[in-house]
Amino acid sequence: MSNSPKTNPNDDPSTYPLLGRMMLWTDKKKNVDWIVRGLYAICTALFLADFVYYKKVYLGMEKIPGFYAMYGFFMCAALVICARGMRVFLKRDEEFYAPHDVESEEFPDDQLEKVDYNA
Amino acid sequence: MPDVFPISLIFFFGAALLLLLPKGHLRAALLLIVPILAGTMLWNLPAGNLWTATIMGFDLEFMRVDKLSRLFGLIFCVAAFLGNLYAWHVRDTIQQVAALLYAGSAIGAVFAGDLISLFFYWEGTAIASVFLIWARRTEGAYHTGMRYLIVQIASGVILLAGAAVFYGETGSITFEKMTLGSLGTWLIFIAFGIKCAFPLMHNWLQDSYPAATVTGTVVLSAFTTKLAVYALARGFPGTEILIYIGAIMTLFPIFYAVIENDLRRVLAYSLNNQLGFMVVGVGIGTELALNGTAAHAFAHILYKALLFMSVGAVLFRTGTAKGSELGGLYKTMPLTMIFCVIGAASISAFPLFSGFISKSLILSAASHDGYYVVWAILLFASAGVFHHSGIKIPYFAFFAHDSGLRPKEAPTHMLLAMGLTAFLCIAVGVYPIPLYEMLPFEIDYVPYTTTHVITQLQLLFFSALAFAVLMRTGIYPPELKSVNLDSDVVYRWFLPRLIAKIATGVARVWNAKTSFWITRYNNVVRGLYHTHGPEGRMARAWPTGSMVIWLAVLLGISLLINFVS
Repeated sequence: MSNSPKTNPNDDPSTYPLLGRMMLWTDKKKNVDWIVRGLYAICTALFLADFVYYKKVYLGMEKIPGFYAMYGFFMCAALVICARGMRVFLKRDEEFYAPHDVESEEFPDDQLEKVDYNA
Repeated sequence: MPDVFPISLIFFFGAALLLLLPKGHLRAALLLIVPILAGTMLWNLPAGNLWTATIMGFDLEFMRVDKLSRLFGLIFCVAAFLGNLYAWHVRDTIQQVAALLYAGSAIGAVFAGDLISLFFYWEGTAIASVFLIWARRTEGAYHTGMRYLIVQIASGVILLAGAAVFYGETGSITFEKMTLGSLGTWLIFIAFGIKCAFPLMHNWLQDSYPAATVTGTVVLSAFTTKLAVYALARGFPGTEILIYIGAIMTLFPIFYAVIENDLRRVLAYSLNNQLGFMVVGVGIGTELALNGTAAHAFAHILYKALLFMSVGAVLFRTGTAKGSELGGLYKTMPLTMIFCVIGAASISAFPLFSGFISKSLILSAASHDGYYVVWAILLFASAGVFHHSGIKIPYFAFFAHDSGLRPKEAPTHMLLAMGLTAFLCIAVGVYPIPLYEMLPFEIDYVPYTTTHVITQLQLLFFSALAFAVLMRTGIYPPELKSVNLDSDVVYRWFLPRLIAKIATGVARVWNAKTSFWITRYNNVVRGLYHTHGPEGRMARAWPTGSMVIWLAVLLGISLLINFVS
């Protein structure tokens, strides 16, 4: 189904919608690196923010500087690692339940309007 | 003739009228007019029991209007309008009628003041909604629809049984706050729990929503589960077990959502997770918590519809909603991407988006009432939902690796529906006072405090940081074409095979027993044939002489007996 941009002769980025063209910079790895660096900077700023305002909270653990930050980071990392581990036991082929399951069958074309942008 | 009539009738009459109109814009327009009409009427209704009927000695209340039912009724009307606008292009009569009957049934159930009318509307939602799945018209969708229907009808039957037992226990059919304890209340509770996708009763949701049509899933996402949340809030507020059930509901779906490939199923898991927040709120049962549940249901219907709309638009244009086959769509579907991000920000509870002003009510209620572990779970679930719905959905659909797909932007009516929904998500987040004023209880809550904004941003940005680190280190599980076993493996795989095994065993015993008796029977027949058959001794033609001999013998024996006696 997917046609690689390299093999699609109609693929011409200059014809994309303006918004899409404005965001093409996100495709470059160098720019993604900058986004991630920006994320690091925001995270650092948010962590440090805990030291400069009066934190009005109810629970003792919430008073720990950067509690929410650490909780968010470590719990999400644990979530992903656990989920990845679960996949070992839970992953099955798309036709596991039946040969004609909604997973393995195509969505009926007559209910779609598949229009290529450059068409 | 009463001034007020059940609002559900507007939808039912609308469905009947729709059949009389020619296919096309007229029908699509009717689908928009009906929820507007119903919402306007509902907005202007006074509170009270506005329409009752006595049937077979039972007083049925079809229009119990109070702040709780009005809020759910209104958001259902809004959801119906947005869903129908999104489905403007649909010319399938079945889907159009089903959408109206489904919304009407859900709204009817919300205003039902007794258990009998609640049951009828409850089943109405089940029957009408299954057509949104069957309308996909594939073998897989047919089987999924059957499973969905069985579960939903079972919920209704259990509700009916519960209502009957409850009537026997109390002599009342009024649907009001109940105390869990008797058989009747437990049955009603379980019926609500099935529709609310309680743990282990949840899999109908993840099974069916990705199987429905592009527009059907948007409509499905709004009504059934939120009706169940409403029913729990009405019938079982302050029932402690709900706190723990809700906490589990927020927790386990996020693990599945991380490894799920079908993005509509990811959304179904996150829907389940969000229901958990609402159920916790009902379980805590304080005014703050119940306000939180109502507000979160309101906000949730909007952002979840928006997310399903955006992924639906991708499916509509590309033919797939699988993360493994998508990526890079921002280039040609930038508006859909922006709307998806707005939905993602709302469900993740970013400041200025709707989830921020609703979810925090429930978290505050949990910590204020001393449920610290539950609070910690909810906090984890909040971070988790950002992880899979907030980042994963937009990232894998619109960014990530370039799939090479260059679909055209979503049709105008879809963009309009998404735009309106996105506007509401932001409006509710930026200015929550109108929503707060509609909540069931007076509320004195300020969501935008420095502490709340900064702590929430910390939670979310560090979750994003975890995502970025895991992606760049290759630890994040890639999107793979697969299914993941969930509780439905019991009835979709294990039980059919168990039954097949039992059937084989029973057949073997039956065959052994049958063959034993057949052998015996054959032996008897063979023996009889041997003695009485054409060649048998008993069938032999005996000569007259031998008969005379035997007569002489018998005569001799009788003479001997006579002589002796």
